[in-house]
Amino acid sequence: MKIIIVGAGEVGFHIAQRLSEESQDVVLIDKDPAQIKRINENLDVQAFLGSGTSPSLLKDSGIETADMLVAATDSDEVNLIACLLARNLNQYMLKVARVRNQEFLEEKDLLNQQSLDIDRIINPQSLMVENILNLMEIPGASEVINFVDGRVKLVGFTIKKNSPFIDRQLLSFKDLEEKLLVGAIVRDNKVMIPRGSDTIQMDDLVYVVARNDELNNMLRLFEIREETLRRVIIIGAGQTGTALAKALDKSKINAKIIDTDSQRCADLSEQLEHVIVINGDGGDKSLLKEENIADVDFMVAITGDEENNILISLLAKGLGAKRTITRVSKLSYIPLVSAIGIDTVVSPRLSAVRAILQYIRRGKVISVAPLKGEQAEAIEAEALETSDIVNSPLSKVKFPKGAIVGAIVRGEDIIIPRGDSVIMPKDRLIIFALEKVIPKLEKLLTVKLEYF
Amino acid sequence: MQFRVITRFIAILVFFLGISMGGPLLVALIYEDSSTHALLFSMLITSVAGIFLFLCAKKPDNPHLNHRDGVFVVTLGWIMAGLFGTLPYLLSGTIPNFTNAYFESISGFTTTGASILTDIDNLPKGILLWRSQTQWLGGMGIIVLSIAVLPFLGIGGMQLYRAEIPSPVVDKLKPRISETAKTLWKVYILITLVEVLLLFAGGMPLFDSVCHSFCTMPTGGFSTKNASIAHFNSAYFDTVFILFMLFAGINFSLHYKFLKGDVKIFTRNPECRVFLFLLAVLILIVTFDTHSLHGSFTGALRAAAFQVTSILTTTGFVTSDYGKWPALSQQILLGCMFLGGMAGSTGGGMKTMRIMLLIKHGYQEIFRIIHPHAVTTVKIEGKRVPADILSSVWGFFILYIGLFIIATLIMAFLGLDMKTAIGSVAASIGNIGPGFGMVGPAKNYLSIPLFGKWILIFCMLLGRLEIYTVIVFLVPEFWRK
Repeated sequence: MKIIIVGAGEVGFHIAQRLSEESQDVVLIDKDPAQIKRINENLDVQAFLGSGTSPSLLKDSGIETADMLVAATDSDEVNLIACLLARNLNQYMLKVARVRNQEFLEEKDLLNQQSLDIDRIINPQSLMVENILNLMEIPGASEVINFVDGRVKLVGFTIKKNSPFIDRQLLSFKDLEEKLLVGAIVRDNKVMIPRGSDTIQMDDLVYVVARNDELNNMLRLFEIREETLRRVIIIGAGQTGTALAKALDKSKINAKIIDTDSQRCADLSEQLEHVIVINGDGGDKSLLKEENIADVDFMVAITGDEENNILISLLAKGLGAKRTITRVSKLSYIPLVSAIGIDTVVSPRLSAVRAILQYIRRGKVISVAPLKGEQAEAIEAEALETSDIVNSPLSKVKFPKGAIVGAIVRGEDIIIPRGDSVIMPKDRLIIFALEKVIPKLEKLLTVKLEYF
Repeated sequence: MQFRVITRFIAILVFFLGISMGGPLLVALIYEDSSTHALLFSMLITSVAGIFLFLCAKKPDNPHLNHRDGVFVVTLGWIMAGLFGTLPYLLSGTIPNFTNAYFESISGFTTTGASILTDIDNLPKGILLWRSQTQWLGGMGIIVLSIAVLPFLGIGGMQLYRAEIPSPVVDKLKPRISETAKTLWKVYILITLVEVLLLFAGGMPLFDSVCHSFCTMPTGGFSTKNASIAHFNSAYFDTVFILFMLFAGINFSLHYKFLKGDVKIFTRNPECRVFLFLLAVLILIVTFDTHSLHGSFTGALRAAAFQVTSILTTTGFVTSDYGKWPALSQQILLGCMFLGGMAGSTGGGMKTMRIMLLIKHGYQEIFRIIHPHAVTTVKIEGKRVPADILSSVWGFFILYIGLFIIATLIMAFLGLDMKTAIGSVAASIGNIGPGFGMVGPAKNYLSIPLFGKWILIFCMLLGRLEIYTVIVFLVPEFWRK
C-alpha cells in the first residue's frame, strides 16, 4: 500500500515510522528542510521538501498511484486543501485529515462526498476528551479502551504490592475463565503477550479484557477501588479544557476549572452552569489547597505547556489528589512520566496517531489501540468467512506467536475465549498482538480474501 | 557500536560473495581450465567463513544500525570482500603474492582496473571471469546489492546506502530503500545485458562480451586482453564501448527516469548537460592536439573520443598509448581523472556535481565582493543548495586534494619518478586504472614497491567510498564512546 503523509510533525513522523516498519511504501511531505533531514536519517521512507498544498509536488510524490493520503500538519487549512487536491488528482484514494477547529467539524456539508470528500476526520481534541472521560469512568485504571461501542472494555492497570494475584499463573484463574482475559502484560517497559504458564508480578501493568457487565466484578477482584466519581479539578481552560468542562457540566460531578487568563475565565463562566471557574495559577500551592485538592478524585492538567502539566500533576499528587491525568504532547516524554509517579497520560498526538492507524489497517479491521509506546496493539477485526481462523477451535488455529484473541463478539453475545472456542464467520474479534507480528496477523485475517 | 549486527551483516555479505563465485566456477568447468579446483575451494572457504561468522554473533537485541555503524559496516565490508576476493588468485597460483592478489582484488571491487598481471591473455577463463565479476559487483555496490536482497535492513539500510552511494546528495527513487536499491540494480543489469548483446552481435566471443560488459558498466576497465580494447581494433566495438562507458558515467536515476518514459531527462538535467558538454569539448581539443600523431582527422577523433570518455568516466579501457601523446592531451586526461563521472553513476573521481557546486559557490563569493549586500544562493535546477551540503563538498574537495598530495609524496619518497607518482595516485584515488609514466596504459602496476601498493589500495578504497566513509576511521573521535 502506498501512503502519502503531508506534514512530518510528531503525528506524521510517528505514523510514517509505524507504517514503514510494517513495510508499507510511505512518502512524507514537509516544508521544513530540517524535518526532511531528520526523516532521511531515521526513517525508510521517501521524503519531499515542499508544501502539501502544491499540486506539482503532490504529483511528483506519486499521488496518482497512491492508495491513501494522510494530512497531518498542524494547520487545518493546509490539511483540507491537501485533501481537496488529492481528490482532484486521484479520485480513488482514501483521505484522512487531522482537523482541530471545531467550526469546520460542525459544518457537515463541507466534509461530505459532494465537496471535500474526506473519508475520515481526525480531531485529536475530541478524541482526547473522550479518552479522559473514559478514564474517569474507572478511576483505578491507567488506560481504558472501548471496543464494540463500549460493550467490551480493555482496562489497563498496575498490580499493587498486596494483590492476591502476584505470582499466580494465568492458568490458575479457572473460575474466571470466560469472564475475563489478560491480554498483555507490560513489565520493565516491555510488552508481552502472556501464555497460560506466565505469572503476574508486582508493578506489572496488565491489560484485561472484560465484558462491560462483568467489569465491576473484575475491578473488585483486582482490588481496584470502584467509587463514584465526585470531585474533579481541571487545570487549563484551553480548547480541550473547555470541551472537557462542558462535558462535565452536564453531569452531576462537582468540577472546577482553573486558568490564569482572566478574560478566558470570564468567557467560560458565561458558558458553564455548574462547573466553577477559578482564575489563578494551577501551579500555585495555596490556591490548590484552597480548592481542596486533597479531596479530589481526579486532577486533570491540560494546559498547553506540557512541562508545566507534569509539574502541576506532581504537585497535586504531593498535596493528596487521588489520581491525576496529565496532558503530554511530546511522545518521547510519555514513558518517562510513569517513572516519576504520574498516573495517567493523555496525548493529543498519540490519540491522532491511534485514530489514523486504525483507519489505515487493511482488511476488516475495525479499530486499533496501540498499547504502551506502541510495542503492541489491540485490534478489533471481523473474522471473514474466507479467513483461516474460522470454523476450527482456537487451539488448532496457527496464530502467530505474540498474538492472542481477547474476545469474540457474536451478535449480542460476548465470549471470552478458551482453547476450545470456535470462531464463526462474521464474528468480531479483539486481538492482542505485538507490533512485529501485526503484518502476519493482518495476512491471517485477510489472506484468502485476495484470491477473490 | 553494535558489533553483533555488524558481524552478522558482514557474515551475510561474505556468504553471498562465496555463492557468487559459483559463476566463474561454472565457466571454469565448461572450459575445463586449470582454475576449477581453486574456484571450488574459494567458494567453499568463503561461504563457510560467512556461515561461521554468522553463527559466532548472537542474535542482536536491536537490529537497527545507526550512522556510525553504517559507515563501519560499509568500509569493513569492502575490506573483507577484497580479502576473500584474493582467494581465487592465490589458490590458483595466478597471483601467488598476497599483496599483489589483494591489490588486484581491491582494484576489481573498487572498479579501478589497475592490474599487476603481465600476461592476461593466457589466464584461466574462470579467473578472468572472477576478475571481471568483482568489478561488476563493486560497480553498483556490494552494499547496495545487499540492501536490495536482504529484507530486514529497513532503517539501517539508509545509513549503509548513503555511505556507499557516490553522491553528495542521496535521492530515493522509491519510498523504500530496498526498492530503490532493487531498481538501481535492475537498471544496471538491463544495460549490462544490452551491452553483452551488442558486443556479441559485433562478433566478439560470448565470454569476452560478458567480461567486457562486466567491466564497462561499473566503469571498471579490466580487460581479458593484454592490449585492452586495442586488441580488437574495430570501430564498431570502439563505438559500443564509448556509448556504454558514457552510460555508466551518467547518474543511474536518470537512466531509470528515461526508461520510465521521461525522454528528455538527459538534456534537462543540469549536471548531465555539463557532463556531456565537458566531454564534447575535451574530445575536440584532444582530437586537434593529436591530429598529427594519427595522420587523419577521423583516426584522431576515434582515439580521442575513446580515450577521453574512458578516462573521464574513470573506466580505464585503452585503445591507444596516450603516454606518447602531446603534453596538452596528457594533462587533459590527468584533469579528467579528477573530474570523474556524474554523481550517482558508477564512475569515480570528484564527480561533475561537486565541481559544479564548487564553481558556482566560488562565483558567488566573487559576486559578493562586487555587491557586498547582495543575497545570493547556490542553485541547482532552480532549487537552493543548503549550506551544509556546500560545506561538505568543500570538505570533500580539500580532503581529496590533500590526500592526493600526501600519497604522491609517499610514492615519490619510495623512489618513483614524478610522473609515475602523480599518475599512479590520481588513477587509484579516481578509480581509473591506467596512469602515467611507469603505470601508463602500456605498462602495469607490478613494478610499484610493496608499500606503494598498499598506499594505492588505500587510495582506491578512499576513491570508491568517497573519502569520508573511509577516512572517518582514522579519526580518534570515531572510536570514543
